[in-house]
Amino acid sequence: MAKTYDYLFKLLLIGDSGVGKTSILFRFSEDAFNISFISTIGIDFKIRTIDLDGKKVKLQIWDTAGQERFRTITTAYYRGSMGIMLVYDVTNEKSFENIKNWIRNIEENASADVEKMILGNKCDLDAKRQVSKERGEQLAIEYQIKFVETSAKDSLNVEYAFYTLARDIKAKMEKKQEASNPPGNRSGVHQLKDSDRQRKPTSWLSRCSLL
Amino acid sequence: MTNATIQEIEGIDDYWGPAFRSVYEGEGGHEAFVQQLDERIQQHDKEIEKLCNFYYQGFIDSIRELLQVRSHAEELHAEISNVDANVKESTESLCTRAEELIRARRVELNIAATIEKMELCLPLLTTYSKLKTQVEAKRYYPALKTLEQLEHVLLPRVGPYKWCAQISSDIPRLRQAIQDASMADLRDFLENIRKLSPQVGAMAFKETQEMLGRSLANIVKSKKDDVISVASRENSGPQCPHELVDFSPLHRCLHIHSVLGAKNDFVQYYRAQRKQQARLVLIPSSGNLHDSIQSMKSYLNAVLGFFILEEHLLTAGAGLVSRDWLLDTWSMAVTKVASTLRTNTSLITDPTLMLSIKQQIVLFINALKCYGLPTDPLPLLLQEMAEHYTEVLMQRWVVVFRDILDNASFLPIEVENQEQYDGVMDQFPYDGDELETQPFPRKFPFSTIVPAVYVQVKEFIYAWLKYSAGLGLGGGRRAAAARHSASLLLSRSFTGCLSALFRRPLPLMQLVQIIVDTQYLEDATLYLYEFISNITGSELVTTQAAGSMFQAARDDAEQQICENLEKKVDEFLDLENYDWLLVEPSGQASSFVTDMLSYLSGVLTSLEQLPTRARVAAVRAATNRIASRLRNLLLDPAVRQISSGALHQLDLDVIQCEQFAAGEPVPGLKEGELLEHFASLRQLLDLITGWDWSSYLHDVGIEGGKYALVTPRDAATLLEKLKEAEQKSSVFSVLKKNERDRRKLLDTVLKQLKQLQNQDG
Ligand SMILES: Nc1nc2c(ncn2[C@@H]2O[C@H](COP(=O)(O)OP(=O)(O)OP(=O)(O)O)[C@@H](O)[C@H]2O)c(=O)[nH]1
Ligand SMILES: [Mg+2]
Repeated sequence: MAKTYDYLFKLLLIGDSGVGKTSILFRFSEDAFNISFISTIGIDFKIRTIDLDGKKVKLQIWDTAGQERFRTITTAYYRGSMGIMLVYDVTNEKSFENIKNWIRNIEENASADVEKMILGNKCDLDAKRQVSKERGEQLAIEYQIKFVETSAKDSLNVEYAFYTLARDIKAKMEKKQEASNPPGNRSGVHQLKDSDRQRKPTSWLSRCSLL
Repeated sequence: MTNATIQEIEGIDDYWGPAFRSVYEGEGGHEAFVQQLDERIQQHDKEIEKLCNFYYQGFIDSIRELLQVRSHAEELHAEISNVDANVKESTESLCTRAEELIRARRVELNIAATIEKMELCLPLLTTYSKLKTQVEAKRYYPALKTLEQLEHVLLPRVGPYKWCAQISSDIPRLRQAIQDASMADLRDFLENIRKLSPQVGAMAFKETQEMLGRSLANIVKSKKDDVISVASRENSGPQCPHELVDFSPLHRCLHIHSVLGAKNDFVQYYRAQRKQQARLVLIPSSGNLHDSIQSMKSYLNAVLGFFILEEHLLTAGAGLVSRDWLLDTWSMAVTKVASTLRTNTSLITDPTLMLSIKQQIVLFINALKCYGLPTDPLPLLLQEMAEHYTEVLMQRWVVVFRDILDNASFLPIEVENQEQYDGVMDQFPYDGDELETQPFPRKFPFSTIVPAVYVQVKEFIYAWLKYSAGLGLGGGRRAAAARHSASLLLSRSFTGCLSALFRRPLPLMQLVQIIVDTQYLEDATLYLYEFISNITGSELVTTQAAGSMFQAARDDAEQQICENLEKKVDEFLDLENYDWLLVEPSGQASSFVTDMLSYLSGVLTSLEQLPTRARVAAVRAATNRIASRLRNLLLDPAVRQISSGALHQLDLDVIQCEQFAAGEPVPGLKEGELLEHFASLRQLLDLITGWDWSSYLHDVGIEGGKYALVTPRDAATLLEKLKEAEQKSSVFSVLKKNERDRRKLLDTVLKQLKQLQNQDG
């Protein structure tokens, strides 16, 4: 059976309640926006397949509840994540300040090499802005994390953010594979293992070398 | 003898014939006779002479005297001539006078005669002129009377004058003119009442309204007002609606026609005209009565006014309107009114308008009763309208509910302080004993839609009861109908909105909350009943409607929850990335399986608030989907080869799932029930991994066998894949002995399985 993807990346969205995590994901997966606020309960996920340099990459994006009371449920998902989006709301100073706490959470719970990105959401609401783009940039540089301002409402930079994170994960993964050259079939659970190996010279070779 | 003859002759004056004959026939002949005669003559002469001598003197004297007379006579003559001249002279003027007198006398007589005649004519003429002025003043009835008098009394009395003939010939023309004019008056009258009858109706409506609103307090109040405004009321307008109309033209016309002997014709004419007018009145002038209450009012005013006037004429008793005719016309009219109202109200979508129209019809019915007109089928119409009103309200509330649902977060209500808490408790009857003791923020188990919908149902009941007010229904009946409508609203409109909600996929948590919320709403029905009995003042009914109002919605929600979970399972399984030629299993379950199972158990715990039934259904759906997807994966024709390593990996994953299923992820399941979903997959895997072909082939077709759920077809399919994989892996290597044996066995089993398949057909 032909696989529907080459890579599967598990991503996680975290941030305070109401910053727009679900909205960002809704924009990315459904290309739609909902003005009403339905706070997430526990955890949910969406899947979207994107194309990166000719590779089909499946993104399983976990959307967590920002509310404190779900913290235990959501923290369990840090471990398996390969990329984490830290989201704050540019119209909400507190949500920005909390980014540091969220980073600490990641450090405590996620695997060390997890890719991260900071999103300053709701940048369409310029009139209500409390956090300047520069401060976001500053914080990102401090932690050596990429940063972008987004708007789920106006569909601004949402695609860009996910593509960037996915590309970074892919690059990191390929680098690791090269390091453990020649790549074996256990290089990663999430890497493609094509059953139809005759059409895949690399797989052929790997198979041969193993035998 | 001769002597005798002479004597005879002398003695007789005539008739001398015989004497003469005797002369002729006597002897001696005529000579004797002549002689005798001569003698006689001589004798006589002597005698005369003697006589003359005797009288001579006297004669002379006489002559003398005569002569004297002659002079006297002449004298007299002169005298008389004189006198005559005198007389003539004096009588001449007398005669002219006399003639004048005669003429004057004659004139006098003529004058008297003329006066006499004139006196006879005069009444005729004055009457005639009176007639003229009467006609001119349109006082037709007196005019007719005058005409009558003229014709039958006055004219015959006066002679056959030319002008009388003229007047006589004028009479029929006048009569016709009067009739025409009175007809014109009638038409004016008809025109007039047509204009006035809406006002008449309006006044009757007002009176009825006042009458209906009559209560002791009102009467006292109006009496007080009366005292104050008694002066101004003295000469206030008409007291009765029909007094707005001046019927005198009609009565005059009737009299006139009675006098003309055409009363019947007139009555017929009047009725025909009115019937025609009735038809016009019954067609609403503004076309769409449902546009505004005003057009409805004017329509009913016109109809009511029309019949009030007819009814008045009936009571007035002039014979213009008979009871039969009135009732007949009315029954035609009321049917038409009912059907007009029916068509028009059926288009109305505005409940307020419906209410005003209902109110108007109620007044109409009451007014009809006052005037003794039968009201059927209007009460029936009101009932039909009640149904339509309910429909209209429900449509309204559908929008309200939709709005509530559209803006609902479907999250449990969380309150920060006492004020907010009280706000919720005020709106919705919730037994908050437990919640009361908790610190803020407190969390209600239901979402905002519960109090919102509850409040709206109450609003609906208020609105609904507005219609039945004033219909003269008892509290019990009203309450029953209100209960019925309220549950209809919930079970149809609200549930319909919920169903519409389910048409788009909803997040799991919302679905769960909806199920919970419907439970709370259902439990609140009793409070609604209490509310209804309070406002209708009827006894409390505690029996709840049979069955669950929201079961359909809950079923929908459950169904969606199941589908939702199945979809998530599908999404996980789409992430499956089995290496079907895996040599060595990793010893760990595939990550998509572990992710999936942890996700599911997470979700299932958050479904805590769900009724057991729903949770069980959800977990059943999910496990069933997992089992069938995994099984399909194994049997998928697109997967041509499966290595035993891969098979073990899958087996490992299935074991994970089985552990999940056996771990009773939700309470309320039968022991091992979830595992059954994996039974056929488990048997298939056991058969293949255990290489237990002999017992399979032995037991095949036996119920309750170890591999009873494995069809020969599935077994063969999987075995083929295994064979393919083994062939592939051994392309470059030389087969060892035991491998050859294994291959041979495999072929035998395959052949047997094929046979079994063929047997099955
Ligand atoms: N103007 C504007 N509003 C946004 C944007 N993104 C999200 N919102 C609004 O912000 C509110 C919260 O959005 P969510 O996506 O539900 O927030 P969340 O981060 O998922 O919140 P939790 O689930 O409670 O953690 C919603 O009302 C959104 O419509 C944006 O880019 N611009
Ligand atoms: Mg969310």
